[in-house]
Amino acid sequence: MYKTSIRGKLIEGDKSLAQISTDILAPIDAKTPKWWYVAMTVSLAMFGWGLYCKYITLSQGIGTWGVNNTVGWGWAIINFVWWIGIGHAGTAFSIFLLILRQKWRTAINRAAEAMTVVAVACAGLFPLLHMGRPWLFFFVFPYPNTRGPLWVNFNSPLFWDFVAISAYLLISASFWYFGMVPDFATIRDTTKSKIKKAVYGFFAFGWVGSSKEWLRFEALSFVLGGIAAVLVVSVHSIVSTDFAVSVEPGWHTTIFPPYFVVGAIFSGFAMVLTLVTLMRKLYKMNDFITDSHVDAVCRILIFISLIMGTAYLTEIFIAWYSGSEYEMFTFFHNRITGEYAFQFWAMFTCNALVPQLFWFKSVRSRLWVVFIISILINIGMWYERFNIVITSLTKNYLPASWAGYSPSIIEIGFFIGTLGMFSAGVLLFFRYIPMIAVSEVKSIAKFNEEIQPNEDH
Amino acid sequence: MIEEKFVIPKKLKLATYVLIAIGLVSFGWGFVTDPQRSWANYLLNNYLFVSLAVGAAFFISIQYIAQAGWSAAFKRIPEAMAAYLPFAAVFFLLLLFGVHSLYEWSHAEELAHDHLIQHKSPYLNVPFWGIRILLFFGLWILLTKWMRKISLKEDREGGMRYFYQSEHLSKVFIFIVAVSFSAFSVDMLMSLQVHWFSTIFAAKMFISAFLHGAAVITLIVIILHKYGYLQVLNRSHLHDFTRYMFMLSIVWGYFTFSQFMLIWYGNIPEETSYYVHRWHGPFQILFYVSIILNWFIPFLFLMPRSNSRSKLAMVPVIILLIIGQYVELYYEIWPATLHEAKFGLLEIGSWLGFAGLFSLIVITYLAKANLVPKNHPYLEESIHHHF
Repeated sequence: MYKTSIRGKLIEGDKSLAQISTDILAPIDAKTPKWWYVAMTVSLAMFGWGLYCKYITLSQGIGTWGVNNTVGWGWAIINFVWWIGIGHAGTAFSIFLLILRQKWRTAINRAAEAMTVVAVACAGLFPLLHMGRPWLFFFVFPYPNTRGPLWVNFNSPLFWDFVAISAYLLISASFWYFGMVPDFATIRDTTKSKIKKAVYGFFAFGWVGSSKEWLRFEALSFVLGGIAAVLVVSVHSIVSTDFAVSVEPGWHTTIFPPYFVVGAIFSGFAMVLTLVTLMRKLYKMNDFITDSHVDAVCRILIFISLIMGTAYLTEIFIAWYSGSEYEMFTFFHNRITGEYAFQFWAMFTCNALVPQLFWFKSVRSRLWVVFIISILINIGMWYERFNIVITSLTKNYLPASWAGYSPSIIEIGFFIGTLGMFSAGVLLFFRYIPMIAVSEVKSIAKFNEEIQPNEDH
Repeated sequence: MIEEKFVIPKKLKLATYVLIAIGLVSFGWGFVTDPQRSWANYLLNNYLFVSLAVGAAFFISIQYIAQAGWSAAFKRIPEAMAAYLPFAAVFFLLLLFGVHSLYEWSHAEELAHDHLIQHKSPYLNVPFWGIRILLFFGLWILLTKWMRKISLKEDREGGMRYFYQSEHLSKVFIFIVAVSFSAFSVDMLMSLQVHWFSTIFAAKMFISAFLHGAAVITLIVIILHKYGYLQVLNRSHLHDFTRYMFMLSIVWGYFTFSQFMLIWYGNIPEETSYYVHRWHGPFQILFYVSIILNWFIPFLFLMPRSNSRSKLAMVPVIILLIIGQYVELYYEIWPATLHEAKFGLLEIGSWLGFAGLFSLIVITYLAKANLVPKNHPYLEESIHHHF
């Protein structure tokens, strides 16, 4: 039973099912807007610069980066963790909210899933290039080889990483794609262009929407969703063990796996919010992405931000409580104060304090404020990874080996390249794929009627 | 609206009195023969039942924050469990008398020569420890009582006003409980091994409280249903209760593994001391037993859909979870205080005593208000819940 008088409407404007299809699919058949070309050009320019930096890295080596013997992990690993984190939102939205029966997720999950696939692809580039000799990438596969006893190190989290991330990419891409099949079929059936009919028809796998197909479709989503839910937790837990299994001060701490998972979902949701506010503004999807959608995402963000804040405080408290001078040095002299204080406080402010503004309804209902805060969270989460990676590495046990770190122009360019790749991917998604899952939105359309009778069991 | 009043059966009331008497006798006998062991029992049971109460209060808050509709009809059960908090506060203050039997950091002679204890003494000292107990319980009691009051007002007057107030209070409550319960578990349990530390410990104990709180809520709901109350309960509700236990037991297993694996992998003496001390004899067995009871069995048995909707499958799992919580706390406290695994009538009797008192309080508070909240806006949704 769903009472709209209490719960509010999921779709505004009393739409019929046909109208829902037309409204959501409109941008695909419409003429490409001017801003799209502008944004695409900028994205491709960024992407191009990234390509150039990759070329330099490949042709001249890792020496072109700012990393050194002490700080062996620089921006590359920060960006890797950051992108992977963002890539968690799609699954978090699709699966966790599905399990929690949050009907409003249907308007947003497609965008979140699309974002996941692009973000994970961006993330994968960093470890690949950081290898120094990426053409020997296949060495990480555990396959029988002629290199003698040299074998992948099953004790190494870097190998676990490889397994977890490739599995995650595979599953989330399939999940995203199979979810789109019914919508592709809708486009195939409604479009007037012959080319589009052929292309979307090809991708629709001959979907006709029979009840048998729907049954299989739902069973498949359930199975893929179940696997992806586990992967979301495992991927970022394993990313955290890249750090936590070492004995570096500031890295070796037992809270890392859940703390990373929560952080990932936090940054992912923030990025979803960024995208969704853009979608709403640029494509006028107000009827589907309503104020209460934005409100709900904001509420989730406060909750997660509280967890993040508690985790930061726990870490700081235990650093003192442990009595370990190295931990205390790392936290109190190298993070909270000292050379990297700015990065620490940027992280703390953006992740733990600023989202608290969402407690106020007036903040949650102002789209531009929400947009700005979502960007700040993304920045804050980037600084969190900076904090973890750089502060622990620059100054650890042996003062003689302390070193500074600043990124070279090549590293920065590489990162900007992935930003371009991400926004280009998102723009293509806006243009060629139904950005809201039409069939899923239709499934909640019935909740707009006043009362749903239900048999009791 | 459903008028449903819980009437306390005379036999049940008598049974709780008997249990309390057993508890009193056990503690009386225990404090004469073996005070330290009795204090360990006292701490364990106090902590166990307070985590159930806090877990229950957290359950209510989560329902409000997530705007969950299905659980509205069962709200009175966690409310009654949270009513245990004021009594727990008194018990915890009495623990001040036992602080020297349990906590190494409270010994002046240890403080004099142990640098680590000296380092921690600004936080770990008896007066501040007592102040923290007062502060935490003060906040928890204030908020849970307030929420209960609003909930009863909603019964009488109705309207959306009290619903929004409850939602608001829930936000404040989780905000406070996240920090305070974390510190509380550090104070009560982690500081038993004063040299040891783990950042995930507090989070793990928090999840444990939520998991076992949810399990006990479910058990009470099932029992009430069996005796003719709460007839709105259907299989979909059971499934949702199961989901809480299922999900939380996975999180519990995840946190436990995370702590163990990282400490094992890091292999630093400061951290491994905790497990080394517990890696022999009965404690080593308990390590596995705790994982089997709290994670493995709920995970495996509650996975099939048919089991998650069947009281017959759920009740045994809940009982194992209740034992699991005892084992988990025993595994924390005994190696750190008594250094050997003593278990006998004293342990059983003191647990029964606390269980009796807890049950008495819960049934008293259940009888005080209508068993199904009358004007909860989601009540209709909860009654017709089906998926």
